[in-house]
Amino acid sequence: MQATVPGMNRTGAAVGQDQIARMIEAVEELSPQMPIDTGGLEAERLSYIADADSVGSIPPPSEARGAAGRRAAAAKNTRPALLMNKIGERIAFERTGTRLYDALIAKYLALGREGDVLPPASELLVAGGARDADSSRRAGERPLDTLRRIRAEEHEHFLMLCECMEQLGGDPTAQTPCADVAATASMGLMQVVTDPRTTLAQCLDAMLIAELTDTASWEMLCELVAETGQRDLRERFLLALAEEDEHLEVIRGWLKALVTEAAGTEAV
Amino acid sequence: MRINLFDSRGVALDKQRMSWKKMVGKPISKLDDDAFTRVRVILMNGLELDSLRTKQVALRMSRESRVLLAQLMRVEQHQATAINWLIGADHSPLETTIGYEQAAIEITASVAQLEPDAYLAQGYRHALLEDFDHLYRYAALLDRLEGKDANNIAQGYTDIVPARPTSEHHRAPEHDLLRPYAATATLATKLHALTLTGAEYQTHDYYMNIGPLFADPLARQLYAEIASIESQHITHYGSMLNPEESALEKLLLAEACEVWNYAGCATQETNPRLKAMWEQFLDYELGHFHAAMDLFKEVERRDPAEVLGTGKLPEFIAFRSHRDFVRDTIEAETSLRKDGTEFVDQAKEGRTSLAYREAVNADGSPSTVVSSTYSWMPGTELMRKDRKAA
Repeated sequence: MQATVPGMNRTGAAVGQDQIARMIEAVEELSPQMPIDTGGLEAERLSYIADADSVGSIPPPSEARGAAGRRAAAAKNTRPALLMNKIGERIAFERTGTRLYDALIAKYLALGREGDVLPPASELLVAGGARDADSSRRAGERPLDTLRRIRAEEHEHFLMLCECMEQLGGDPTAQTPCADVAATASMGLMQVVTDPRTTLAQCLDAMLIAELTDTASWEMLCELVAETGQRDLRERFLLALAEEDEHLEVIRGWLKALVTEAAGTEAV
Repeated sequence: MRINLFDSRGVALDKQRMSWKKMVGKPISKLDDDAFTRVRVILMNGLELDSLRTKQVALRMSRESRVLLAQLMRVEQHQATAINWLIGADHSPLETTIGYEQAAIEITASVAQLEPDAYLAQGYRHALLEDFDHLYRYAALLDRLEGKDANNIAQGYTDIVPARPTSEHHRAPEHDLLRPYAATATLATKLHALTLTGAEYQTHDYYMNIGPLFADPLARQLYAEIASIESQHITHYGSMLNPEESALEKLLLAEACEVWNYAGCATQETNPRLKAMWEQFLDYELGHFHAAMDLFKEVERRDPAEVLGTGKLPEFIAFRSHRDFVRDTIEAETSLRKDGTEFVDQAKEGRTSLAYREAVNADGSPSTVVSSTYSWMPGTELMRKDRKAA
């Protein structure tokens, strides 16, 4: 891993101004500017959207399994299929999140002592206004231990969600449409974190996207189970949300610390 | 479906036109379509691309055929586009890879059972065990890199366990060759070999294109390793083809091969939209076949029956799980190796392969590292609740 420093970046127009001047001459002669119109692009998109099938279907709940699922289906204002779709999405996200943290831990280990630039989680949680209990519980936890704990919590969330899916009569191994779409959306995150060339700070930027999405999605899931009257699920989800809030604070705090205090090091 | 190559004329070449929008239709559903629909899409794209490849080579070798070959290739290009664009963008490259390996396994298993020549049937079983092992290695990568279950793609039809280890597939080039079939071989034998050659070519080219798109260093190594083996497989199957066939004879067989496979797909397809496409392209290919046959008769002054027999299509590839056949093959033949064109016990493997393998594995084996301790289970290995999994 190498520090990100000024160098011979060739991508900008300012690098070869003579060449750019000739290119502009060519443009003026052969494709002169006119009012920008992307209407054709929009029309194509509209045409394909109108004709498109869905990504796929939500696996039907098994009536034979899950008393809670039957209760959910029977309860007033329930939307069990949507709930299963969204739980399937979180199952996939937490499972992929576990693998993201596997890769992030490798990136941290590769830094060796350079990794000492990360402040302990307890300091970040105090600065972030976390409850005293949260920060004191993390006292003495080294950044590597924090990374491993977060990874373990992502894995626990995944297993807990699988249990919940089974309680609802669903199949936790199925890929729901929302799981599929979320996986497509997050493909770039894994690419950033597993690239040997990226720095820890660049990886934390990618993890911030993941944790911001994760926190917002858990909040939505908590609201959804509250609407469907699933109190036991809501309590379990709120506990997970509290942990995800902490993950977000830690990642955000680490990223801020690197950007403000460690510029020029291998970590940035 | 009753089709005789000589009698069924299909659609005339000048009636075969598709607009860009017709080529770029709706993709299949990764979640809802049957895995064998994807297998057929992968196979037929591979055959269209191989048909183009055959014609490009023929173009360089046959002055009289140039115009017709150019006309045929234009349609084949657009057919390949219509088929390959059926793979939806929500397939990650690694998920599509799982589909490719499943296609290789189930199609090869079917061909191995259909093949009347015992030696060539062994050739199919030999490479089958290798593609089967690739599925296991890629499934481990999918689990450990993207956190996904390969069975979301394979849908329970294909076992995900090791067979002959990928690290041992690396042979010296001279041991990749097989004895070719004779000019008098049955049409089935000729079409089987051509089908597998095209399918492996496509898999190789796909891995060569997507391998560099991965950031993860082990993923990049795994694609490099397995792409090299797929290149061996192209040689393995390609060397089954009779090298004495003329360019136009190969053209005729390529068209017959497409007719046979489209007919097999149309007969077994479960998605009505794709069934209609297979039927349409079957008619196109019959048109191609007859144009090629007219050229063959005109240029070579030979009877096509010398190449194609009665023109009756052989039994179709069975697009279904061949689990029991594969398991039997694993049990009986995993330890077999190659010495020149022959299949031998492990102890008698060609010596030059051992030296070659030692060289390519000198800095470690990507396929071994990625799948170390891997055991497939529904929902990924993270479903395991024992401490070893965490």
